Amino acid sequence: MKDPLLEIRRLNKSFGRVVAAHEIDLALEAGVITSVIGPNGAGKSTLINLLSGSLRPDSGQILFQGKDITRLPIHRRIRMGLSRSFQVVNVFPNLTVFENIEIPVLAMRGHAHRLFRSVAGESDTEREVTGILDRIGLLGERVTPASALSHGDQRLLEVGIALAAGPKLLFLDEPTAGMNPVERKRILENIRSLAKEGRTTFVIVEHDMDVVFALSERVIVLHYGVVIGDGTTEEIRDNPRVREVYLGEEVAP
Amino acid sequence: MNRFWTYGLYGLALVCLVGIGLFSGRFTLYLTMRIMILSIFAMGYNVLFGRTGLLSFGHGAFYAGGAYGLALVAIHVSPHPLLGLVAGVALASCIALIIGYFCVRHTEIYFAMLTLAFGMMVFSLIWNLRDITGGDDGLVGISRVPLSLGFFRIALAKASHYYFFVLALFVFSLWAIRRILHSPFGLILSGIRENDRRIEFAGVSLRNYRLAAFVISGAFAGLAGGLSTLLESNTAPFSAHWTNSASPVLVSLIGGIHTFAGPVVGSLLFVVLREIIERFTHNWMLWFGIILLVIIMGFRGGVVGALSDLMNRKIRMSTGS
Repeated sequence: MKDPLLEIRRLNKSFGRVVAAHEIDLALEAGVITSVIGPNGAGKSTLINLLSGSLRPDSGQILFQGKDITRLPIHRRIRMGLSRSFQVVNVFPNLTVFENIEIPVLAMRGHAHRLFRSVAGESDTEREVTGILDRIGLLGERVTPASALSHGDQRLLEVGIALAAGPKLLFLDEPTAGMNPVERKRILENIRSLAKEGRTTFVIVEHDMDVVFALSERVIVLHYGVVIGDGTTEEIRDNPRVREVYLGEEVAP
Repeated sequence: MNRFWTYGLYGLALVCLVGIGLFSGRFTLYLTMRIMILSIFAMGYNVLFGRTGLLSFGHGAFYAGGAYGLALVAIHVSPHPLLGLVAGVALASCIALIIGYFCVRHTEIYFAMLTLAFGMMVFSLIWNLRDITGGDDGLVGISRVPLSLGFFRIALAKASHYYFFVLALFVFSLWAIRRILHSPFGLILSGIRENDRRIEFAGVSLRNYRLAAFVISGAFAGLAGGLSTLLESNTAPFSAHWTNSASPVLVSLIGGIHTFAGPVVGSLLFVVLREIIERFTHNWMLWFGIILLVIIMGFRGGVVGALSDLMNRKIRMSTGS
């Protein structure tokens, strides 16, 4: 394997007596679409929270592009290119769709602290925001307040905000939850085409097995905070341990 | 409301203010200056309150910082008014930076109570450090010496002259705060108000931006405090008291916290209503409380918020039919 994009070494996290991550060792390679699956309470969300900075691990180390980011605050990780989206809608409700995307773009360009310049005069930023809106299919809604969007469009915007931070590695927490088939298709196409462009590596946490198997090149299975399976979709399908705890009902032999 | 009307209203207000400066008596001048000074205080405050949603009860400390900074420089160094104001604003910003550093890691009631506690600490310092601050007497005898700018001097001693100095700084503050609110920085602050958890995931340091907004609002509070000291020619220890810290909150609520003109209109109503009520009764707080109740319950989004909503609805109705 080449130098990994993200490396996790012996990561541990527990909440009281509940173990959410136990001695997790993983390396994520650039350009490989990876899915993290597991039954409820397997520690998928905890893992994302640990990697994106919402939670501090009890022990262990996280390296991003060779740098130790274990104790780095959230916004510094985002600035380095490690972004995430949320399972529930988590946007800026009373700002317009355009402004929702504009905030991360300004922050990433290092223009966010500009006090005495008109935000309307940031033409590079405007171009980039327009591009992202076009990509997620919300260009027509640019002046709509985010709270007035349909649920599915809010979910698209949610992913859009994460994308606007120009991430090298992007965690998507159940990106298609609550979307209708059209929106789902659009989001999956976006993930595929962005992955092909090679700038962003995706890690997807999903419940929907169709999405997982259609998209991923690598699947990681968590169970009570322990990695019990890691490999290609075929390998995971054939892994007896995984089938025992998780896939049994969903994937017929 | 469209651009034309907004700028028209601003122009009209400016003409009125200049007119007041040229033609009115001392009392009206004094009252208008108080309104403008309170407006600067409240507009600056609203950068923090209206944009980031942080409710501070300690801004009296920064107002007093501006007042005492100016007075101390005037007494010990030089009575030049601009130098004094710069010193006052610098002192206020420093106090805001120190207090803010500890407060911005908390939000909501914890933030409000911390700022209140720090504000009252500053108040008791001023009260007890008699040798420096004059204790309960304050620092007295601050005179308005002429403003010398290289070749020419502008007399400020008369109220009608000082009025234009206040007006100039009032317009400057309006311009500066408008710029700030429409800048990328202003948009980030709106993001903080809307969703302070997501903003970090957009690559923004929540704590630093909150602190920046806190210091900016503290600096404008200091400017207001300095101008007020020059107007009254003394400092009042009670300017650091929490009752003074509450006035920009009330003024913002009356005018409308999510509007740009809200704090200005709120200041106007606050000063004028107080003046009128005090003519009839000693317990003006009682009547003011009733009026405040009516405004908060009757005008959603403050007076300016409610009025512009009404205007927009009318415009929509007339274009819709």
